[in-house]
Amino acid sequence: MAAEPRFAKTHEWARTEDDGLVTVGISAYAVEALTDLVFMQLPAVGKKVKAGESLGEIESVKAVSDIYAPVAGEVVAVNASLPAALETLGADPYGAGWIARIRPDDSSQVAMLMDRAAYDAVVKSQPH
Amino acid sequence: MLTQIPVWRDGPADGPTNMAADECLAEEAIALGGPVVRLYGWTATTVSLGAFQPVAEARSEPAIAEAPLVRRPSGGGAIVHGSDLTYAAAVPKQHPLGGRPQAFYTAFHAALIAALAEWGVVARLWKPEEPDPRAGTNSFFCFDRRAEGDVVASRPGAAPAADDPKIMGSAQRRLAGAVVQHGSLLVRSAPGVGPAARHPGLADLWGSAVDPGAEHLAIRWLEQVAHGLGGQIVARAEPFTDGREDRIAQLAATYASPRWLERR
Repeated sequence: MAAEPRFAKTHEWARTEDDGLVTVGISAYAVEALTDLVFMQLPAVGKKVKAGESLGEIESVKAVSDIYAPVAGEVVAVNASLPAALETLGADPYGAGWIARIRPDDSSQVAMLMDRAAYDAVVKSQPH
Repeated sequence: MLTQIPVWRDGPADGPTNMAADECLAEEAIALGGPVVRLYGWTATTVSLGAFQPVAEARSEPAIAEAPLVRRPSGGGAIVHGSDLTYAAAVPKQHPLGGRPQAFYTAFHAALIAALAEWGVVARLWKPEEPDPRAGTNSFFCFDRRAEGDVVASRPGAAPAADDPKIMGSAQRRLAGAVVQHGSLLVRSAPGVGPAARHPGLADLWGSAVDPGAEHLAIRWLEQVAHGLGGQIVARAEPFTDGREDRIAQLAATYASPRWLERR
């Protein structure tokens, strides 16, 4: 059974898979807040990222946002079909809407992110 | 106590310098913990591309063959600068305007409409339910596109119409700690570019009804913005670039690099 996703305050989620890789995406809240998505730039496979570094970019209504790496490591796979089907991010943000898989430098990093309850509290404190 | 909103007015600069100063403005918003605004010009008619617009598309557009290009960090379509009033505003991410893109657009665009009314100009926020004669076309230029909250102006004495021109559009870069929004009020049609890149500006539409340099309009507009935010503007006498030359030059080198311009 897949682990529950954990969350960064910048609205990315990360989930450790059975093979030790970390799947990364953006939260349902982030997708809803960004509204109509029009373009996404994925990271290159093989890219090494530090936690908090830009992993990719996404454009909604003329607004461009960075997608930040929630953990440090190497990008080993990307969801190549996603940029042509951005609606998937809203329809299944924690499943088919995954963005990248990272081989983490330190497998304990995911545990340091927020659990869903803590993230929900962050979302409630966001300006509207 | 009213929130003080500093407003800097900068002289003309090239594209990379202006993009760098806008990024620096976001850093200033974080440092001051509140909204900041910069008005600025361009040393030459310059085309700014949206963050993901293909540069090849710009280079194949004959109407702008002679104009320098710069890529913005924000989204949207290409803008021909030089006969517009360009602005940048930045707020910390936790500011009420930092949460959702549309609230930030509306704060500046609705304030412009209120200011324009003082000159008798009738303008409105464009709504997606309005008929759009360009719907379905993939317009390269910002002023050929319509997005929710863009400012469109009626023609003098005419009722609002589907083909009313867009006179202001804005776009955002949402950074980790701040949101920077920059945009363009088209004052008059751009010189030195082909017809496809020329769009009617405020002065073309309303003639002498509006002050020709939009100087007073800009002040009244920003006062309306500040009023909406429960604050007041504080006009800064010095240019924003003063004291920030090194940081702006550092950032401008990135915006001037082929790697950035040709990233797509």
